[in-house]
Amino acid sequence: MASVSSDEWRAICDKFTNAQNLTVVESLNDPDNDPFRSKYKARELLREIYCSLKSFEAGEGEEESGGETGESGESGESGEQLPVEAPVDGQTEEAFSQGFCGDSPAGLRAAKLGAVEYYLGVNHVDTEELSAGQEHLMNSMKLLGRCRVSSENVSLFIHARNQLGILWAGRDETETAQGFLETAESIYQRYMKEDGSPPTDMADYFSTEENQLTHQERTKRFELAYTHTMYYLAQVYKNLGETERAAIYCHSTLQRQLKLNQFSPMEWALNAATLSQYYITKGRYMEGRHCLSAATVISGLAGEVPSEAAAQESETESERREQLRQKRAEIARCWIKYCLNILQDSKKLLEDSIGELDTDRQEEMKRGRRLEEEEEEKERKSAMLFGSEDTFDSIASLEEKVRCLLPMDFTEARAIFLVGQHYVTQAKDYFQMDGYVTDHIEILQDHSSLFRSLAFYEEDLDRRCKMHKRRVDMMEPVCMELNSKYYLMIRRQMMFELAETYNEMMDLKLTLANRQDETESLDSHTIKKFNNLCSASAKYFQMFLDSLCSPEGKQPEHLEEEVLRPALVARFRVARLYSRLICTSPPGQVENLDKSLEHYKYVVDYCDSHPEAVATVETELELSREMVGLLPLKINRIKAKIHANN
Amino acid sequence: MSKNKSSESVKVVVRCRPLNRREESNGPAGSIVKMDIRLGQVILRNPRATASEPQKTFTFDAVYDANSKQRDLYDESVRPLIDSVLAGFNGTIFAYGQTGTGKTYTMMGAWMDPEKRGVIPNAFDHIFTHISRSQSDRQYLVRASYLEIYLEEVRDLLDPNHGNARALELRENPDSGVYVSDLTSCVCKSIKEIEEVMNVGNQARAVGATDMNEHSSRSHALFLITVECSQPGPDGRKHIRVGRLNLVDLAGSERQAKTGVQGERLKEAAKINLSLSALGNVISALADGRSSHVPYRDSKLTRLLQDSLGGNAKTVMVATLGPSPQHYDETLTTLRYANRAKNIQNQPRVNEDPKDALLREFQMEIARLRAQLHHRKWRSKQKKEQVDGEDWEGDGDEETDGEEEKAVEEYVKLEEQRLEREKQDIREDQFMLADEKQRLLGEKERMMGDLRKEQEATEQLTAKYKAMESKLLVGGKNIMDHTNEQQKMLEMKRHEIAEQSSSEREIQQQMLVQDEETVELRETFTSLQQEVEAKTKKLKKYLKLYAKLQCIKAEIQDVNDEHVRSRQELEQTQNELTRELKFK
Repeated sequence: MASVSSDEWRAICDKFTNAQNLTVVESLNDPDNDPFRSKYKARELLREIYCSLKSFEAGEGEEESGGETGESGESGESGEQLPVEAPVDGQTEEAFSQGFCGDSPAGLRAAKLGAVEYYLGVNHVDTEELSAGQEHLMNSMKLLGRCRVSSENVSLFIHARNQLGILWAGRDETETAQGFLETAESIYQRYMKEDGSPPTDMADYFSTEENQLTHQERTKRFELAYTHTMYYLAQVYKNLGETERAAIYCHSTLQRQLKLNQFSPMEWALNAATLSQYYITKGRYMEGRHCLSAATVISGLAGEVPSEAAAQESETESERREQLRQKRAEIARCWIKYCLNILQDSKKLLEDSIGELDTDRQEEMKRGRRLEEEEEEKERKSAMLFGSEDTFDSIASLEEKVRCLLPMDFTEARAIFLVGQHYVTQAKDYFQMDGYVTDHIEILQDHSSLFRSLAFYEEDLDRRCKMHKRRVDMMEPVCMELNSKYYLMIRRQMMFELAETYNEMMDLKLTLANRQDETESLDSHTIKKFNNLCSASAKYFQMFLDSLCSPEGKQPEHLEEEVLRPALVARFRVARLYSRLICTSPPGQVENLDKSLEHYKYVVDYCDSHPEAVATVETELELSREMVGLLPLKINRIKAKIHANN
Repeated sequence: MSKNKSSESVKVVVRCRPLNRREESNGPAGSIVKMDIRLGQVILRNPRATASEPQKTFTFDAVYDANSKQRDLYDESVRPLIDSVLAGFNGTIFAYGQTGTGKTYTMMGAWMDPEKRGVIPNAFDHIFTHISRSQSDRQYLVRASYLEIYLEEVRDLLDPNHGNARALELRENPDSGVYVSDLTSCVCKSIKEIEEVMNVGNQARAVGATDMNEHSSRSHALFLITVECSQPGPDGRKHIRVGRLNLVDLAGSERQAKTGVQGERLKEAAKINLSLSALGNVISALADGRSSHVPYRDSKLTRLLQDSLGGNAKTVMVATLGPSPQHYDETLTTLRYANRAKNIQNQPRVNEDPKDALLREFQMEIARLRAQLHHRKWRSKQKKEQVDGEDWEGDGDEETDGEEEKAVEEYVKLEEQRLEREKQDIREDQFMLADEKQRLLGEKERMMGDLRKEQEATEQLTAKYKAMESKLLVGGKNIMDHTNEQQKMLEMKRHEIAEQSSSEREIQQQMLVQDEETVELRETFTSLQQEVEAKTKKLKKYLKLYAKLQCIKAEIQDVNDEHVRSRQELEQTQNELTRELKFK
């Protein structure tokens, strides 16, 4: 090897620095009509470096004993290596056991040449010449294939495979990409296990002694390359549809960013919070809670929210205030979903066929869950911990504030509900009605759902009814305020929910009244209350149905798929509500029953003329048919009675 | 447009431009796109594929090949949408396609040549012609805004300092839905004015970018036209309907992947994001689902058009294709995207009486002014009546402005004459004291001055009223002459033809499906027949075989019998022989 201090070598180093500068810095300023100008210049320099290296090699081949690395070595020795055209990478095992040592002169030469090939490959990929890029990268791998993995070349091993992974993924050959990236992953892991010293960065090959990188910087660059491997693998798995593995790799990417201190707090926090949403939909609340707690703690690292006064004075402060508030509110919304999902999941487990708390099952589950779950949790947890030394404790203490086991009784459910409500307040503080209508309403809907889930555990019917009243109070005014032109869908959702809530309250009131005095009939106050709730429910169902009408007020002849079931169900429910209204005068009864019959008939007629609708409302249809048969009899009987009395 | 449908999906039409000279000279490869106009099908040939690979076929609401006219596309596909905007719906037209496939030609066309005018000038023409021909009790207000979304930032193209203006924010309000705060909105009274607005915006778009083509292919441009119409309803109150037309020029499709413009999620999923800062995209793709909250999913464009996509609006999407073989991949991407767009469901709904109507403000202002004017006139009339003692009644409410003005003038003249006469009288009055005379004269002068002031004020009010009123467009200003009538008829016929041809296409498509079914049936039928034949044949063969079997069985029986008989004979012989032996 030419002596490192020789002028020739110095020239090569200068060229390399130049090429790097062109690629990274200059290329940003290239004109739009010649976007790769600097990159092409860099390519020329790299080629020159390559030629010089080759000629060094030739010269040295004579000086030394010759043989092992003649300039024709490439073709001569490639036979031992993987064939070039095989894009599949599987050399981890050989890479650690075969070939010459990375720090031998031959190994160093190969690494240097390989590095130039690597840079040439990246350059070609950047300039959209993929095939040429691939060839250079494969050459680089082939050169390295002759060496054992060592601290001198491991970085190049990984970089080259990262690049090949990207290249193949870009061609839709995801499995090929996966192969390269997985090899990179295992090379890293094995290197860290067997050696672990800070490896030489490729840039170091071509820098003069005084410009060598520090150990710290070397480690940083090497670890970053591996973080990228993780990140690319996450995408590869996502594209292959393996969401679970993708989530694991996203998780490790986040972990590594934090560990290596390469992250911006707000961005990281938001990503962690988003990842929590993956976990909670999979029922993995322990992981979800950890992500959320970490998100909250790390977002705190971004600093205090500037005060309103400060925001008014400077534009940058006002923007920062806006950003911080918004992102924290987003994290709060992720927390709300955590609380809501965990409540709903346990509700699903505990409810019986009519949606009431099944106490036998409750006992059984309570007994069963204790020991094993906590054991399992510890094991799973150690693998996924976030945090550095200074954040670790605060994350853990935040986690303690809310449980990640499914709540089994009212006390446990209430604790989770309260946490959820706390975050509702926090999120609403930023997502106000004026300016963020859709977001604000989504939060309201979640809040309402939190109440609904909590009501499930409440045994006192009166208090349960009050919870539903809270739901009505928060939704009703908002629903009326919205412009029906722009918020058609949201309004429909809210109308339906309001109608159902009133219905629920009505049922509760009736049960309560019946419980209090089973023998006597209802008093007039209760009847009035009951009828009010009944009419309110019918009113909102009717509003929902009216929202489906054409501008002229005509009922649609054909219901769209997404409203088909809600519309028929609403009809059915209205029919039911009319027949439940308590009315003492027989003519009034007849009137209500007529209305009821009319709605039942609609359901039946619609299903008769649209057979495709039958499957969506089977039970309701069956009942409606029966009612259509029975109601006329009842009506006639009352009519007859009226007649007789007259 | 089929009837009896309460909602319609997005209407997708595809247009292909002719090969240009350079492409023609490139070789005999020719066009890779074949179109069946009657069926609304596009057939795409892969120039690199082997002959055996099947061609890709896509079916759309309408397709327009290289020979299609601007007029055809407009009448068939766009006209119904503009009509519904005028009737108070929201409508959106998307233009989508790789740059250089004739997107601009389709949307803009050559403004000067009536044959080559694109969708936008035709739509302008349509709107204003409709207004001028509608009944005179309708009032219209047309406003236009122009904005672009570049790298997820909303910029106002009508803002005079567009270059250094701050990015606008999207806000939401319970009354007015999603809106762009501080967006310039220009009232337009004629085609000329709205064209002017568009030109100003186009210039701003060009100036803002270093390289027009590069920029335009990365930014989405939205031209928003709001048409408010006020019309007295049967209840005597004025009803206001607001329709909005969004003309959207989407960023060039070929750039979506390279620049990461997020607009419509057009990116093919397989590409790997290189920058770690895109980690969020990857994670949010995992955490999909209804029961979770994923921050930052919607792009600005999607939010801005949220009631046009899957909301309560009608949407037409025009996708443009290039026919040359080297654009195969882009053409395929465009077709796939257009194909996906077909599935978005929209629910059109007439927007009655929205609270935010600017028109109402205008009307109230006008009503107030009118009341003031009447009040003033009434006051001056009263005065006149006092002075003259003449009974001069006029129905203020029904009076037209011209008459009123005349009346005022007359009144002023009369008053002047009267004052003059009085002056004369006073001068002539010999018994009057000189100073008394002077005082009275002064008083008269002052009254004259007052009168003049009053007159001026009235004039000012009238002018203000006129100015306000001129912003409103009243239908029926043009005389409904014969030509107009005929043009209307012509348009109706054209509309009918367009409708017919689209229903024809629908029928054709159905027929094709049925044809396929018939062929299938026939195939099954023939195959069944063949099967029967084969079976019969086999059966016959089996019968023959069976007969043979019976023969052979009989033979075997015969042989057996024979053997038995010969054995018995042999036994007998043996017995006989034994016996004989014993005898010996």
